[in-house]
Amino acid sequence: MENVTQIVQHVRQANWRVQRQWIGLFLLGLVAVSMVAGIYLNITVRATLAGREIQFLQSRIIDDQRANSDQETLLAGLTSYATMQQRATALNFQPVDPGNITYVVVPGYASQTAVDMSQPGAASQGQSQAPVILPDYTESLFDWITSTLTSSASTGGQP
Amino acid sequence: MKRLPFWRYLTIAAVLGLIGTAILVQIVRIQNSPEVAGITDQGGYIWKTFYPARGLIYDRNGILLAGNRTVYEVGVDLTALAPTKTHTTLDMEKNIALAVQMALGMDPAAALTKMTNAAAGTQYVVLEDYVASDKAEQLMKLQTDAQADPSGLNLNAVNFTAHLTRSYPENDLASTVLGYVTQDNHGYMGVEEKYDNILAGIPVTLRVPADPRLAGDYPTIEPGQTLILTIDRNIQASVEKILDDALTSTGATSGTIIVMDPKTGEILALSSTPRMNLNDYTQVNQIFPGETPFDRAISQAYEPGSVAKIFTMSAALDTGTVTPGTVYIDNGFIVVGGVRIYDWNNAAWGPQDMTGCLANSLNVCLAWVSTKMGNNTFYSYMKRFGLGQLTGIDLAGETAGRQKLPGDSDWAPVDLGTNAFGQGVAITPIQMVMAASALANNGQMVYPHVLYAQVRDGHQSNMSPQIVGTPIKPETAHTITAMLADSLERESSTALLPGYSIAGKTGTAQIPTSTGYDPDNINASFIGWGPLPDPRFLVYVWLEKPQSNKAASVVAAPIFKQVIEKLVVLMGIPPNLAQTQNNGQ
Repeated sequence: MENVTQIVQHVRQANWRVQRQWIGLFLLGLVAVSMVAGIYLNITVRATLAGREIQFLQSRIIDDQRANSDQETLLAGLTSYATMQQRATALNFQPVDPGNITYVVVPGYASQTAVDMSQPGAASQGQSQAPVILPDYTESLFDWITSTLTSSASTGGQP
Repeated sequence: MKRLPFWRYLTIAAVLGLIGTAILVQIVRIQNSPEVAGITDQGGYIWKTFYPARGLIYDRNGILLAGNRTVYEVGVDLTALAPTKTHTTLDMEKNIALAVQMALGMDPAAALTKMTNAAAGTQYVVLEDYVASDKAEQLMKLQTDAQADPSGLNLNAVNFTAHLTRSYPENDLASTVLGYVTQDNHGYMGVEEKYDNILAGIPVTLRVPADPRLAGDYPTIEPGQTLILTIDRNIQASVEKILDDALTSTGATSGTIIVMDPKTGEILALSSTPRMNLNDYTQVNQIFPGETPFDRAISQAYEPGSVAKIFTMSAALDTGTVTPGTVYIDNGFIVVGGVRIYDWNNAAWGPQDMTGCLANSLNVCLAWVSTKMGNNTFYSYMKRFGLGQLTGIDLAGETAGRQKLPGDSDWAPVDLGTNAFGQGVAITPIQMVMAASALANNGQMVYPHVLYAQVRDGHQSNMSPQIVGTPIKPETAHTITAMLADSLERESSTALLPGYSIAGKTGTAQIPTSTGYDPDNINASFIGWGPLPDPRFLVYVWLEKPQSNKAASVVAAPIFKQVIEKLVVLMGIPPNLAQTQNNGQ
């Protein structure tokens, strides 16, 4: 029995080996967690920066829209009827008398119609516009893996 | 291989473990800190109300009539006024009060009071809102300059929040059509009130993400819809000038001119007095004291007088009661309901055909015509013409006026005679225009409107013309138009414009008072359309209490001519001769 005990003691690892293995495993886990955390942090930072950029641009859009309103109103004031009348008077223009107008026939001439402010290419009503931000910038890692697996499954995978 | 001592491994593991633990502790601490909790309250979302930019208003040619401009809310961040080694909070507040006095012209005592009397816990106080850009920029410059002040007394606590407010680049042009917007973004009168809902857009209160990573969820707030009016700025401005000059030359107390396309009901110009600069709406109570209507064209009912004879004659022609050649012998008076009715000059005009009755504006003749039709027929036609009823024009503040009917407590048999020549009935100018459109438009009466189109998301939706009724047959409309054109020619009216064929009628009406008709004042009006045979405009002129003359043919008809002189130029309408030549080519 004593011999048997001795044999067992020979095949068991030394304590310091076991302890080093545990420490190694712990460090391995720590490194793995650190890597995941690092990647997550990196993605989060990039997403946050992109978000801040979006917020900044949204703020710029609002500022620009306000500036556009200012400019359009200012331009309308500069070309208002009273202002244009003063300029015309200063340039010695005179109101035309109906009797002084000569009318001629212009083939194909279409008389002036009211303004059309439709914008070419505008999305039809009820039709949603394309998303401004791609999913790549908003989906989580889990979302990305899920969507990738789903799309792979639906297409049967790549050959 | 030499074995490292165990304690070294243990130390490395312990250090790394401690670092990791510290990171985890820090993460948990940050996540639960009050600062972050404030930001990420309700799961990283905050409630915010968005006020969309008010929709713009253009005239029919795309000229801006109502826009927006930037103004500022100027406030003070009280948390930034903590005392320093060199300055007390009061020093800083006084410095700000002085700056707002210099830049904004604000009472410094009032500004100081707002800051010093703020309730405990208040973080921000508004000193003044709706500050014009130039003034705000002056204060911003003072703020920038103060940062370099060696005393350290700066204006960093002053905050500027930009937002939009209504602006009218044409000032008082078309003011009675447009209406105005107060600081609470509500429209009053005119288009601003009628279309307030779609112009203002819908303020939206939403949970918006505070987390920048969720910025993609930021809501898009649609601005108010843009409106395009049927008004033509150049015609409107010309008409307003003609009206203002007319008031000066005639001494009239007020006036109204309406220009409408009789085929579509589009109002090309609508002017009444007084008008106000819409950028200073605080003057509204001074400019429109008491019962003064904001827009007489739609809000003031009055007795129109002889212009209403065109409806009586139309009804009589339509029913076959008379024909243009029917002769009436005018003895100078007629008795209706036991009351004698006289002509305007108390004279007997002898034999007159129906065109002569219109040309000479004979009350007795028209009273005879209405009595020949009888109550039922006459009032049925007046109802079909929409007299005394709302037209439904898309402007706020319309009144209906009143057409008394048999059976009403205040109706008397004599009213059948007086109503025939526009007395004893109260209608608005816009009703007159709508009713007359039937005569100018082949018997079809059009809905008068000022909205041409709405623009949303880059799409323009144009309004379609609406026929609101056909009170008379097309041939009747042609006949009465020809009679009115003939009557103007017969009397060599001052309303006529050489080269253009016009149909029209004057109206000189007595003004009722609580003690009977005013012996000293009249309402002078003229309604006409042209050029015949394909009218492109219908014009109504009404002057209240002109002093220069008591006859509409002298006072109102020349104003009508001035208007159509402008119209034919601005609308590019050639004279009849040129039209004929052009058509022949």
